[in-house]
Amino acid sequence: MFTRAALPSLRLYSTSAPPNVPVKLIAELRKRTEVSISKAREALAASDNSVDAAFQWLQEDLIKSGAKKAEKLADRLTKQGMVGVSVLQRGLGDGTVKGKGGIRAAMVEVNCETDFVGRNARFDALVTDIAHTVAFMTEAQNSGNLIRPVPLELLKDAPLMSASGEQQAGDVTVGSAIHDSIARFGEMITLGRAVAVVQDPLPQGLGVRVGSYAHGSVDNPNNGQIGTLAVLALKSAKLGELIAAQAFRDDLAKLERSLARQIVGFPTTTLKPREGEEDEWALYEQDFMMFPESNGAKVKESLRQWASSRGIEEEGGVEVVDFAKWTVGGA
Amino acid sequence: MFRAQLAASRAAARRLYSTRAPQSLLVCARNAARHPAYVQQSSLLQKFGGSNARRGYAEAASQKFSRAKPHMNIGTIGHVDHGKTTLTAAITKVLAELGGAEFTDYSEIDKAPEERARGITINSAHVEYETDNRHYGHIDCPGHADYIKNMITGAAQMDGAIIVVSATDGQMPQTREHLLLARQVGIKKLVVFINKVDMISDPEMLELVDMEMRDLLSTYNFDGENTPIVMGSALAALEGKNPEIGANKIVELVAACDTWLELPPRDLDKPFLLPVEDVFSISGRGTVATGRAERGVCHKGDEVEIVGLGAGKMKTTLTGIEMFHKELDRGEAGDNMGALLRGIKKEQIRRGQVICAPGSIKAVKKFQAQIYVLTKDEGGRYTPFMEKYAPQIFLRTANITASLHWPEGTADAADKMVMPGDNVEMILDLVHDVAADVGTRFTLREGGKTVGTGIITKILDFA
Repeated sequence: MFTRAALPSLRLYSTSAPPNVPVKLIAELRKRTEVSISKAREALAASDNSVDAAFQWLQEDLIKSGAKKAEKLADRLTKQGMVGVSVLQRGLGDGTVKGKGGIRAAMVEVNCETDFVGRNARFDALVTDIAHTVAFMTEAQNSGNLIRPVPLELLKDAPLMSASGEQQAGDVTVGSAIHDSIARFGEMITLGRAVAVVQDPLPQGLGVRVGSYAHGSVDNPNNGQIGTLAVLALKSAKLGELIAAQAFRDDLAKLERSLARQIVGFPTTTLKPREGEEDEWALYEQDFMMFPESNGAKVKESLRQWASSRGIEEEGGVEVVDFAKWTVGGA
Repeated sequence: MFRAQLAASRAAARRLYSTRAPQSLLVCARNAARHPAYVQQSSLLQKFGGSNARRGYAEAASQKFSRAKPHMNIGTIGHVDHGKTTLTAAITKVLAELGGAEFTDYSEIDKAPEERARGITINSAHVEYETDNRHYGHIDCPGHADYIKNMITGAAQMDGAIIVVSATDGQMPQTREHLLLARQVGIKKLVVFINKVDMISDPEMLELVDMEMRDLLSTYNFDGENTPIVMGSALAALEGKNPEIGANKIVELVAACDTWLELPPRDLDKPFLLPVEDVFSISGRGTVATGRAERGVCHKGDEVEIVGLGAGKMKTTLTGIEMFHKELDRGEAGDNMGALLRGIKKEQIRRGQVICAPGSIKAVKKFQAQIYVLTKDEGGRYTPFMEKYAPQIFLRTANITASLHWPEGTADAADKMVMPGDNVEMILDLVHDVAADVGTRFTLREGGKTVGTGIITKILDFA
């Protein structure tokens, strides 16, 4: 009595006659979209079994059903995910994007329930796009802190900019893209935090630059388990002439990367120790191990040496002025 | 009565699989011959045994379970909402009724307590149960990083796995990551459980789930065609409803594990290996190497080989085996023994080498390994390291300097950091050769403290 074969016994559980959606089409739609079987079938049933129409139908429906799912999963713990960094303009001397000399960069943390989803290429792309969007849309505000938090409420309705330059279908916003992902992965996904650095070019003789690093990447090297943005300020009467040289710009990029790696690699908590206090995890007090040129010197000395060896004689000619460092799940 | 049912449904399961996979039965038959009933202490038991009464390992086991069955570690992998935990609970419930388990409630499994094994914090819930043929240790880990860590440390390894997929969703984008993980931790065979079949009214849809799953398995180099796929409802089994999709399917699933998943070879069946811990010269008798036999069996008069630390392939004969100052004719895995070696001078053999069955293991100089780097809290480093980092590696009794590199083709290799808490795959270049295989574990030490632990995944250069 217990030896019934698998499939026939299941037929007993048919509650209604199956609507006529060919399994082949479901399979085809799933290959294109990776949506769940039930959803693929629903899409086809609503679209007269046209895969293309179902594809269109899904674009909208995934956002809606994702939103519903998000409500259902609202109390789930989302401790996994990725920190994504996007640098659109590195600052002084960066001529790749219009508006030479300014900074346009952002860092976001997107969370999910398991690191299986966190390692998935689709999730990686979502993080990349959101970081790109934040860097793209944030307005310059040339006062106060350089690295500023971006209100998440505001971001939700911002149109999502694809980092790959592909046109998004319809009016996809950051919020709806997250809902779409929730529907596809069936896991809660949240936007944990976001910051941006947007700084217009400074007057002659002054400059800002941004360095970044992400550790623990799966695919995109700008996304990882730990990420940082660090802002560097330069001050020199000769700055214009220095920055014109490719070798100087390359050197500067190396220094920035080393600083960002130092911040990520070591348990860096602050920039400088408070007046009269000691703090071995203040960036300036650390041995600059991530910078081969440092020869074991501390960060503060290495910066001074770097500046003077490049002809920047001004006091504080090269300084780290602000940084943000995040670890996934550390908010 | 339940026993009979178990047997009957296993027969049914076999019939089902045999249409797809006649060879799998042959494999199993061979396995059965190779593994007669024996008593094995599971690695879990050694690590956690008795110390935690809540799980009731040692105590309950000594009263209830005979350990005279081959042991295997399996795990469930799957989407958070596809019912892994329910399935685990259901297995213990159904098998408890058959006398092969103690029911472990959903909430107990779901808690996934933090454990410390070898000083490393791992996060997994352990459950155990047994069938007529085997004893299973079952883990239900929440994430990729946790699984990898378990695998590297050996804290809770998986010899096989059950992939759980909900019939309503089918495979999800992250199912790929689940299979990649299984590949990465060296699992060669899987069993698939399609859960929640009562929510699907159309059998064709179930066939689609089945078909897609087989495709995906094949994409990731599993045997998609022959992998057993069992369809049922873990919840029904747990609630004791609809046995035809509930309890029976659990029985079928477990039977599929019994027949399809291959037992890891047990230590006694492997070729003899004795890591040399110490060497003595006994006047009138010769040179004696001592150590704890890691695997296999040896007999007085056996031809053996000394491997590692520049030994080449030094052949000799085991002229005597001693334990507790008594002479024996035979030694086996687990024995602390002294091996008397013919014609070997004390200077010719030293700690770090192994005495083994000829040709059974080679000396290696370079290999790839999966490494877990301990966090500061686990007693490890607090700073990152980079390529060319050169710690000491401790492999069996050997202690050798090795330098670490990224595998060829790694992007930004010179720049890439390894931070405490990371799982990484790296290449180790050893200063001296050492006897090692794929699967051999080792630790990385620096300045007297353990900074990492690893497992060899690929041999790149032999000595």
